[in-house]
Amino acid sequence: MATSTEAPKTVTLTTSDNADIQVEREVAERSILIKNLLEDLGGDSNEAIPIPNVNEAVMKKVLEWCEQHRKDPPASQDDDSDSRKKSTDIDEWDQKFMQVDQEMLFEIILAANYLDIKALLDVGCKTVANMIKGKSPDEIRKTFNIQNDFTPEEEDQIRRENEWAEDR
Amino acid sequence: MDAFHVLMLKLFVHPRAYFVLISCRWAYLEAGVEKIMTDLRGGMDMKTYMGLYTAIHNFCTAQKAVAGTNFSNHNNRGGAHLLGEDLYQHLIEYLKNHLAGVQTRSKEHVDEALLTFYIKEWNRYTTAGQYNNHLFRYLNRHWVKREMDEGKKNIYDIYTLHLVRWKEDMFIGTQESVMRSVLKLVEKQRNGETIEQSHIKSVVDSFVSLGLDESDSSKSTLDVYKEYFERPFLKATSEYYDNESKQFLAENSVVEYMKKAEARLDEEKERVPLYLLSEIMSPLMRTCEESLITKHSSALREEFQVLLDHDKQEDLGRMYKLLARIPEGLDPLRNRFETHVRKAGLAAVEKVAQEGDNLEPKVYVEALLGVHTQYQDLVNRAFNGESEFVRSLDNACREFVNRNKICKSGSNKSPELLAKYTDQLLKKSSSKMTEEDDMEKLLTQIMTVFKYIEDKDVFQKFYSRMLAKRLVQTTSASDDAETSMISKLKEACGFEYTNKLQRMFQDMQISKDLNTAYRDWLSTTYDEKEIKNNVDATYHILGTGFWPLNPPTTPFTPPQLIVKTYERFATFYNAKHQGRKLTWLWQLCKGEMKANYLKVLNSKVAPTFQVSTYQMAILLLFNDNDTVTYDEMVEGTKLGKETLDPSISVFIKAKVLTAQPENAKPESGVSYKLNHGFKTKKIKTNLNIGIKSEQKQEVEDTHKTIEEDRKLLVQSAIVRIMKSRKKMRHQQLVSETIQQIKNRFMPRVGDIKKCIDILLEKEYLERLEGDELGYLA
Repeated sequence: MATSTEAPKTVTLTTSDNADIQVEREVAERSILIKNLLEDLGGDSNEAIPIPNVNEAVMKKVLEWCEQHRKDPPASQDDDSDSRKKSTDIDEWDQKFMQVDQEMLFEIILAANYLDIKALLDVGCKTVANMIKGKSPDEIRKTFNIQNDFTPEEEDQIRRENEWAEDR
Repeated sequence: MDAFHVLMLKLFVHPRAYFVLISCRWAYLEAGVEKIMTDLRGGMDMKTYMGLYTAIHNFCTAQKAVAGTNFSNHNNRGGAHLLGEDLYQHLIEYLKNHLAGVQTRSKEHVDEALLTFYIKEWNRYTTAGQYNNHLFRYLNRHWVKREMDEGKKNIYDIYTLHLVRWKEDMFIGTQESVMRSVLKLVEKQRNGETIEQSHIKSVVDSFVSLGLDESDSSKSTLDVYKEYFERPFLKATSEYYDNESKQFLAENSVVEYMKKAEARLDEEKERVPLYLLSEIMSPLMRTCEESLITKHSSALREEFQVLLDHDKQEDLGRMYKLLARIPEGLDPLRNRFETHVRKAGLAAVEKVAQEGDNLEPKVYVEALLGVHTQYQDLVNRAFNGESEFVRSLDNACREFVNRNKICKSGSNKSPELLAKYTDQLLKKSSSKMTEEDDMEKLLTQIMTVFKYIEDKDVFQKFYSRMLAKRLVQTTSASDDAETSMISKLKEACGFEYTNKLQRMFQDMQISKDLNTAYRDWLSTTYDEKEIKNNVDATYHILGTGFWPLNPPTTPFTPPQLIVKTYERFATFYNAKHQGRKLTWLWQLCKGEMKANYLKVLNSKVAPTFQVSTYQMAILLLFNDNDTVTYDEMVEGTKLGKETLDPSISVFIKAKVLTAQPENAKPESGVSYKLNHGFKTKKIKTNLNIGIKSEQKQEVEDTHKTIEEDRKLLVQSAIVRIMKSRKKMRHQQLVSETIQQIKNRFMPRVGDIKKCIDILLEKEYLERLEGDELGYLA
């Protein structure tokens, strides 16, 4: 359809902190939200797309990932392969990409969830999972700065219920 | 979104919170949804779109701030659950209200206007539904998915929810009037009016869309369509055609009705791709067939006989096509057809049978063929060559070929006449019109009748006798035709059936070579003068076992001249094949004699008489004396009276001899004088005329030998069976025997039993315990 010489179509995204980011439509459409929106509204207008839940810094990071993965085959509608779900393996580029501070990591996860980018959400969650792996509850609390608000009784009950999952 | 994601989001949710009053949020959402529902044409900007999506997203995620992570609640989704459900319920409420309005407005319309309204509203509603589905995608991904994963009933993705609401709140209340309008339109079209077909197509599509699989909302079923569209549609169709056909038949002939029904069926078939679902094709056709054909099948069948009687091929074809569509529609026709063909065959035979004994074989066979050809043509053209009808035709033909008026007067008449007709075809005839192609066609026709003949052995008998005659008398028209016929018979009945016929053919070939060899031998053994003094003769050596020929029935002393001639040949032959006995079949021999005492008119040539050997012996007596008495003839030839008398009669009739006293019957005391005044224009005169009584005798003989041969055939079949089985029950043996020889003739059980008794007596078989029989090697 489109010849290679033709300039790729671009869209403008306006972030929560009012920054305009110009990006190729194909890249932006990794987000199902944006893809549906463009389809529904017939994205021929040059109107900027407001993204009220994501700020410029996070948006740029997300778009970086989208750029890298622009040619990935679209994830199948419902169940993606079991292997991807179960393993916590992350491809090398994504691992490097996720080497950010905790704050940014969570922002990425939230943005991926909001923008409906399933693959990125997966990568983010896997990264967090790898951070938990092999840690004791106290270590986990420490890592993520979580306060223990369980009573000793509650904690005991949870332990009993999850006994089956303990490593022996 | 799977549980893993949820857990992650829940554990590490960013402290940013969305404190917004839910009621305010819904009011905002409702306004957006309302706009989508009612004013999508007015356009929607990105800000609104994103605003709605974000609102829903935030609506769903707000719980994180409200509910927090409370591990004391094990099913820790309370907040999200409630919030998602809240949103979902709000949407349901909205849709219900919205659709109630639509339904109320629909009441203002009827007929086509209602359809227009319904379709317009449907299109608007479903388009909006798709928008909403995207806007509520966050709800779909999280809350709806989770509810569905947990197996909650009546929770659907947002688009499906729209369909479900339409079905409950709009469809149920309006479908009846909608269908009424649809059916009215269809009726109009059936009545020949032009209608807006796209309306119906849209209704069909919308009904199909409402078919949701209760157990899996991602799948669709045709349940709704079947229940609310197909069923009433078929019912209306059935009513329409019930009425129409009843009325039409009351006012028109069955023939006209069939045309109408055919046209209607075609019309309905064409209707399906225009605006119906292809799934309806077979139930629709069945419904139409029920109303148009099955309900009137007896009327149609009544007409069948009439059409047959008037040979209305086109109408018969139409009837076949109609009745072929319904189960077991044709069976009664087949029976009637069979009866009809049998009657037609019998009538045709009856007609030619009026000629009595003078019935020409050709006329008879052509009568049989005529009926077969006519109805085979009918089967092929009108009945599509359908195998069941072919079988009915075969049954009928077999019946009238083997059991008709002619056959009543003498059993085995059909095969006999067929063989005679074949003989006439294959004989040299004065009219040489039979080109090779025509001949082939005629022979094929003979095989058509032959196929139906039950007593194939009778045909074989007659055929082989007549073939023998054609060969011996060299009256066969063409070798090619003869071989073609034999190979056709072989194809039909197998090698054994034609074995003897083929051997006869071979003998003729061998004899030809033998005569050449004999001539060579003569010229080396004798000098020219000696050869010239002899009769110039040709010999046929025929194997006794293969030829259906009998030795002469009359004593005969051949003239010395002939004796010398054949003795010379015998010397030659015995030298070649030691130990073979030659029997001379005088009754089949013939020769030519030159009447040197006469002249052909207006010429100087002496005429030649073609005569049988017996006649030759008689005429040769006149070489010594112009007058020969009857007694001298008896003395000279030793011929029996039954052969001598007719031979003399031929001479008297042809005026070669004159009797004294004139017109006296041949008997002792009569004398015969050579007629010197014999006048002829022809150089050759044939006096070797077959004798009628002889022919009749032959036919009788043939029939007699058939009975004998049948006994042998049955016996040999029994022995063959017993040889391979060793032991067998009586009953079983009888049925097996019938099985083996029924393609030759239908044996009677009594005859088979007689043959078994004969074989028991001859000790081929023995009785064992019970009714078992054993084979004695």
